[in-house]
Amino acid sequence: MKRQQFLAAAALFATATLGFSGAASAQEVVKIPCVCELSGAGAVSGTNYRDGARMAVDEINAAGGILGRKIVMTDMDTQTDPQTSRALVQKAIDSGAYAIMGTVYSGSTIVNMMVAQRAGIVQMTGSEAPNITERGNPYIFRTSSGAQKGVPALTAYFKDQLKVKKIAVEWVNNDFGKGGHDVFRKEMKRVGIDVVADVPSEQGQADFSADVSKIKNSGAQAVFVYLNEEEDARFLKEAKKQGLKVPLVGEVTLTGQKVIDLAGGAAEGAFAHVGLATSAPIPSIEKFVAKFKKRYGRDTDHNGIKGYIGIYAIKYATEMIGKFDSKALAKKLHGLTLDASKYPGMLLTTSWDQHGELSRESFMTEVKNGKQVVIGTVPAN
Amino acid sequence: MKRRLTPILLVVGLALLIVAPLGQTDYIKYILSSWLIFAIAAMGLNLTLGYAGQISLAQASFIGIGAYTTALLTLAGVPWIPSMLAAMAVSFLVGLALGFPALRVQGHFLAFVTLAFNTLFYLVARNEDWLTGGPYGLSGMPRPDFWLFDTNQNLPFYYFTLAVFVVAAALMWGIVRSPWGRAFKGLRENPIRAESLGVDTRRITLLAFAIGSAYGGLAGALISPLVQFINPDSFALVQSIRILLMVVVGGAGFFFGPLFGAAMVILLPEFLRFTEGYYLMIYASAVIVLMVFCPSGLIGAGQALRERFRPGHRVRGDMKQGSQL
Repeated sequence: MKRQQFLAAAALFATATLGFSGAASAQEVVKIPCVCELSGAGAVSGTNYRDGARMAVDEINAAGGILGRKIVMTDMDTQTDPQTSRALVQKAIDSGAYAIMGTVYSGSTIVNMMVAQRAGIVQMTGSEAPNITERGNPYIFRTSSGAQKGVPALTAYFKDQLKVKKIAVEWVNNDFGKGGHDVFRKEMKRVGIDVVADVPSEQGQADFSADVSKIKNSGAQAVFVYLNEEEDARFLKEAKKQGLKVPLVGEVTLTGQKVIDLAGGAAEGAFAHVGLATSAPIPSIEKFVAKFKKRYGRDTDHNGIKGYIGIYAIKYATEMIGKFDSKALAKKLHGLTLDASKYPGMLLTTSWDQHGELSRESFMTEVKNGKQVVIGTVPAN
Repeated sequence: MKRRLTPILLVVGLALLIVAPLGQTDYIKYILSSWLIFAIAAMGLNLTLGYAGQISLAQASFIGIGAYTTALLTLAGVPWIPSMLAAMAVSFLVGLALGFPALRVQGHFLAFVTLAFNTLFYLVARNEDWLTGGPYGLSGMPRPDFWLFDTNQNLPFYYFTLAVFVVAAALMWGIVRSPWGRAFKGLRENPIRAESLGVDTRRITLLAFAIGSAYGGLAGALISPLVQFINPDSFALVQSIRILLMVVVGGAGFFFGPLFGAAMVILLPEFLRFTEGYYLMIYASAVIVLMVFCPSGLIGAGQALRERFRPGHRVRGDMKQGSQL
């Protein structure tokens, strides 16, 4: 009997010390899991986001980590499925995450951000749907402006530069597309431009011939294209085939490198307003793009930059508060402005408002000779 | 021998389900709940497909109907139990209506009819903003609260799901052993002969669809409070195909097939995550290998293995479990 008690006590002691040493080694690192789209429809965006973030993590770790602790970033693939992403954010929190990177697709973020909110963990999302920052979630932060900021930046372009009276809109009917579409309709109404064709399309739609001919017949003087990358490319190809001559103007995705690669010559002359342009003639971004290409052997799109600055934003804000406290981190980030000259990892001067919405200067871009070229900058709003 | 073994296995299985989430992280509890819910949906499809032989690619739309019904009612303040009953009733009626084309078309054609129905449901859910919230979906559904038993935490929610699952499974056990169950199998094996023996094949076909769909509705009634967010994408065609995969991988026409099938489809990829970038490839290869070498699914594989060592007598088609599709 005594012997048994002794054994039990020894076993207890052993587990307790083991548990303790486990906790001690966990103290030396900081966990920032990346929950993103590595397979499924969002794989292009999610993989770039992850790779950008990984680059930032390695740089920071090589320079001594955050407050002396190394960052550990594990990948969690959501398969671009909202329900899986919700489970994975839970998994990330269970594993002791200090902050979470991702997700990129808005349909996933809107689901999984509730879990991070409940646990009080800061989440750096790559999503751009307006409703994400409208839910009063104090733990969600964008790494690029939402559509409610991006689309109005185009209004002046349509009205003053292109001077159009009639316009068409081609959009993808999911929460990302609908968010942009609704803002666009409101903006056009405000400045009195007539929307003569309003064409919704499916995520993953392969055939845009009916869409393009509808736009062509509507007499629109310009087209606002609000689709995901692969659909953008298919739309551009079809527009070229049918000889649609009016300016094609997009927000964020239309002049992305992936779209240019997929669309071949058909992307030539397309315009887009982008929050982050990999082609921006700004030394910090040029340096980033070159580093990315050297490391991964391919060009990135704006999602790579988003992931990169997401990690750096966590690092800088954490160093300001001087401890690893996700709630204090969220408080610090609200209303924070990080000046790129002082905080080079941000690439561009960036600020967040009280809702986690982001603001920084943005760019007008055009596709020329198979490359995205910046033709103008739009000041931060 | 077999008769004595079954109850023991059942008790062991149930005990395993009870202890499974203990000491696990919230993530595991969530995945386990999601497994049981999909097992309920797959059980419904197993009745339609495995027992009655009517192929359906619309099960996700019935989960959707159940989920939206429950979401709208619980958001309006109706308690979960009446909402769940309403969800099952609506799914039952819509399933009944979908059964009518099955009276006229069979096989691949029926697959296309149900596929079209699933797409139709998806489009309605996405475009009728006023009711379904469109692509933004509905969110913030409350989790059921039964006086002392509050399911806001993941562990009570798992036990709540388990309880619903056990009741649903017991009902299904009763159904497949009832005269209806025999009629379903008769319909699958040889409809003309079944009719000649006095089975009302018209009524039985409709029932197979309606009951299977009601199980889909029940799964939907559980998904709503589990995820607390629904949007049309969660009930798109690809989800129906996933549920079909659960039934086929588990073993169509076997009572426990859907439980194992759902485990294979939902739990296996999660357990393979440690292989990082390769997990979906390994998972997909495992499914292909299983389907090539054992088209009657996991349980079929187990049975084939057992018969190899202990050859038994042949069983009549309408008496045996399992079906080759």
